[in-house]
Amino acid sequence: MPPSIHPVDLITTLRHKHLTPAIVFLTSRRACDEAMQAFQRSQATLPPQRQKNIAAVLEQVIAQYPSIAEHPLLPVVQRIGVAAHHAGHLPSWKIAIEELMRQGCLDAVFATTTLAAGVDFPARTVVLTQSSVRKTRDFTDLTVGEIQQLAGRAGRRGKDQVGFAVLTPSPYIDLGVITKGLTGQPEAIDSQFVITYPMVLNLLKAHPLDQIQAILARSFAQFQLNRRAETLERKLDALHVQMEPYGPRVCADWITQWQVFDHARKQKAHRVQVRSHEPPELAARLHFLTPGRVVGLPKGRGIVLRQYRSRGQRSPMVTVLRANGAVTECPAGLITPVFDRTFEVEEAPVYPWCTPHSLDELTRQMSELPVRIPVLPILVQEEAEESEIVQTLTDEFPCPTCPSRPACHKDHAQALRLRQEIHRHTKTIQALHTGLWHRFQARAEVLQQFGYLTPTCHLTEDGEWARLIRIDHSLLITELIRADAFSGVEPQILAGVMASIAHDDDRPGAFPRISNGLASLLGQVRHLAESLAPHEDPPLLRADVAALTERWVGDPALTWIGLCRTTTMAEGDIYRLLARTLEYLSQLHTLNASHPGLADTASRAIRALRRGVLEELP
Amino acid sequence: MTTDELEKLLAQQPVGFLHRLASGRIHRHFRLGKRRLIDALLRHSADNRAGMESDLQTLTKERPRYEQSVGHRQHPEPAAHQAKRPGHGERHPAKAGHEGSAEPAEPAPDLTAFLEGIGVPPPQPFVPDAWQEEALAHLAETDVIVSVPTGSGKTYVAIEATRRAIEAECTVIYTSPLKALSNTKFTEFSRIFGADRVGILTGDRKDNPQAPLLIMTTEILRNLLYDAAGGEIDVRLDTLGLVIMDESQYIADPERGVVWEETIIFCPTQARLLLLSASIGNPQDVADWLTSIRPTPCYLVRHHRRSVPLRAGYLHPSGKLTPLFRSVGIPHGSAAALHPEAKRLFAHYEDETLRPRSH
Ligand SMILES: Nc1ncnc2c1ncn2[C@@H]1O[C@H](COP(=O)(O)OP(=O)(O)OP(=O)(O)O)[C@@H](O)[C@H]1O
Ligand SMILES: [Mg+2]
Repeated sequence: MPPSIHPVDLITTLRHKHLTPAIVFLTSRRACDEAMQAFQRSQATLPPQRQKNIAAVLEQVIAQYPSIAEHPLLPVVQRIGVAAHHAGHLPSWKIAIEELMRQGCLDAVFATTTLAAGVDFPARTVVLTQSSVRKTRDFTDLTVGEIQQLAGRAGRRGKDQVGFAVLTPSPYIDLGVITKGLTGQPEAIDSQFVITYPMVLNLLKAHPLDQIQAILARSFAQFQLNRRAETLERKLDALHVQMEPYGPRVCADWITQWQVFDHARKQKAHRVQVRSHEPPELAARLHFLTPGRVVGLPKGRGIVLRQYRSRGQRSPMVTVLRANGAVTECPAGLITPVFDRTFEVEEAPVYPWCTPHSLDELTRQMSELPVRIPVLPILVQEEAEESEIVQTLTDEFPCPTCPSRPACHKDHAQALRLRQEIHRHTKTIQALHTGLWHRFQARAEVLQQFGYLTPTCHLTEDGEWARLIRIDHSLLITELIRADAFSGVEPQILAGVMASIAHDDDRPGAFPRISNGLASLLGQVRHLAESLAPHEDPPLLRADVAALTERWVGDPALTWIGLCRTTTMAEGDIYRLLARTLEYLSQLHTLNASHPGLADTASRAIRALRRGVLEELP
Repeated sequence: MTTDELEKLLAQQPVGFLHRLASGRIHRHFRLGKRRLIDALLRHSADNRAGMESDLQTLTKERPRYEQSVGHRQHPEPAAHQAKRPGHGERHPAKAGHEGSAEPAEPAPDLTAFLEGIGVPPPQPFVPDAWQEEALAHLAETDVIVSVPTGSGKTYVAIEATRRAIEAECTVIYTSPLKALSNTKFTEFSRIFGADRVGILTGDRKDNPQAPLLIMTTEILRNLLYDAAGGEIDVRLDTLGLVIMDESQYIADPERGVVWEETIIFCPTQARLLLLSASIGNPQDVADWLTSIRPTPCYLVRHHRRSVPLRAGYLHPSGKLTPLFRSVGIPHGSAAALHPEAKRLFAHYEDETLRPRSH
């Protein structure tokens, strides 16, 4: 049996059951194109009347977007009434397909899941063949929200009494994900607020520094952080109530006193035993191997979930969560180094020793850990002589003779635990309230360092124009401008550089050769981008896409088809590359007051770039 | 045990068993299909092969012998036989070439109820839904979030609100996350309001920027707001009466979401905000946030009812169609009972596709 149904059979089946028009979501552009080719080969042909209808609709669209007239798929779509619709196509072609679908001229469209939400593109039936999508490099399960956006296209208001979401299996499908997506509620959304350099400059342009924290507090991010803080505050209140019986006793800070006393006492009692089992380094380290601690393992890193002693040998062990999500056991002796980083863990009494929610959180945090984390310096105490300890006990801790001793002895473990928890919660709450502000300050510091802000956080002369560059990689671009990298360059070279900064897709392909001038400028850009890496992620800076853009801007006689022939990149991708380049160039154009020469070159590049299909849409 | 042997052994186990094995070992194992589950287990076993093998052995011992001897038919589904009504063949048999090639020959379930009612409804005069009226009424007073399923008619609310704002001599800005969507809406709105009343703004192009209705991406609006705050007025923001943010679930986009927040934070107080979305799970949170930062409390319009009911089906590669769920419509909530026939066919499919890799 084929791993998935043949596209022609699929549509035939749907047609028989009156389930067309349908949108079939496939995993890749290639799958969409291959489905089309399968139809081409099948020699299926629409009745003449339907072909006429399609031609009539297409004619209207062509009047608006002339480039479609030459599209090689035009006669095919007209003959078979089926089309592919994906990001590899030109926007104008996609508009044509959408219009045909709206007019009910097509039986089916094969689309990838990137089909934009909200574009009015409904059908009677939606066919799902996958439960995950490729996001950057990995496959990620579709979310409930995404599945509902896809399936929700089925059933057109006013044209259908009922819509159908049909699942057909492929090697990419997980039934559970799809059924959950169909029956569940869309996921709650979380703020993705980040503080960017342009944001800092623009905020400080309009507001004095002392108002910034209040402005950041208006973000959805802070709103959600406050909610979390409120939950913790309620917990904190409860902890304070529990803490009430443990107020001051004979000595005000009896808890600390007892902590130290108890520690010294234990050390004394277990000295021999401890020494026989564990070297002092390990004993010292054990105090830090508490749940939530990030540690180094023989292979990779992990987060401690619990510390325990093995059944037989009583040697210290830890359970750790590894980077791949696995929960494994490891002798504490093998752990090195101990990092200066801990996460919150909601502990649980059974495997995996924390709540599922906590495990999810930790796994996520684990995956986001930076490569370098400071190592915790651990002081190994040389063992004191017995007499010294006895001395210390009576000299410094009067506890053995204190009247409160029995009560303290009974309570101190619980009191200490409560106190630590209160401390932890208080710190977390504080971090939730001030986190955004700290991140803002960190960004502002970088901008001060580079001279866009004065030490009092006012915009410098450079800051005044730099704030107009409000795109990704803004620091790289403004630094390039300050380094005079663009002075005297040709429009096509400027466009080429902007393309390589703007393009964030690493899909491979074949491309035209790059000119020497552009190649050497890109070298300079790359160099600068690397030196900025601690402050801003460097862009891909692909030379090949730069060359393609250079060619289009530099040669006004080059036709769109001619351009497409110089590369294996899909038409839609070329369009997107150039459209994004256009956006970046238009930001340079806004600098006409401070950098008239650059703004002029940018506007010449824009004019050269906006021709042919790039002129058809705003 | 070699990796190959382990893989083979795992492939022979039913999915439920694999999930038991995976629990505690593999993060979110319940979201994986059989093939990916096996891959994940194999990857995990690289760290702790012995533990996995011993668990595997203990668990296999627990299972009754016969189950294993069934081999690749892991989900004998007695319910499937009860659900079928003999005599009702498929009304439109699919292509003969595929039918029955490897497919266990079972008569198809009755599809009458499932396929009933397909067709075009009789034309009806346009009457706005109650929720559409509700959204419009509140928009006269305050910000509104509309959170209703796809295809419900959120655009109508946007259009009607725009019409009212324009009549009140206000400027309206419509933002969408995507240029493609902006272009479609530009065409649609130009048809409705007249080309002279609709403008579109992109980074380098301003078509009709003095029009009362301006269409742009959210990034462009954010830039306008920053320019206005910095003292350079570009468009008539003082007359801005309504800002429509379509597909506002983009506020949760990892890369671009921040732009939605910036836009909302800096949206002039005299303008009303209208947020439209079909896929925000916690619209009340967003509404509470708006309430906390905007001059008037935000009103949330929310419902889950689809205007055109949706049914779900399962189509086997052989061309056999069955309902996906036991119920005709899509059951909402947790206890989604799969149709036994769909379950059986899917189990059969997983087997078929797994077989080549488990040699
Ligand atoms: N009250 C109504 N009665 C009948 N049809 C309506 C009504 N309101 C809207 N429609 C129709 O419903 C269809 C879908 O509407 P619309 O595109 O606005 O959906 P939407 O809610 O924006 O969906 P999406 O989430 O996909 O963007 C349109 O064809 C519209 O004409
Ligand atoms: Mg919409």
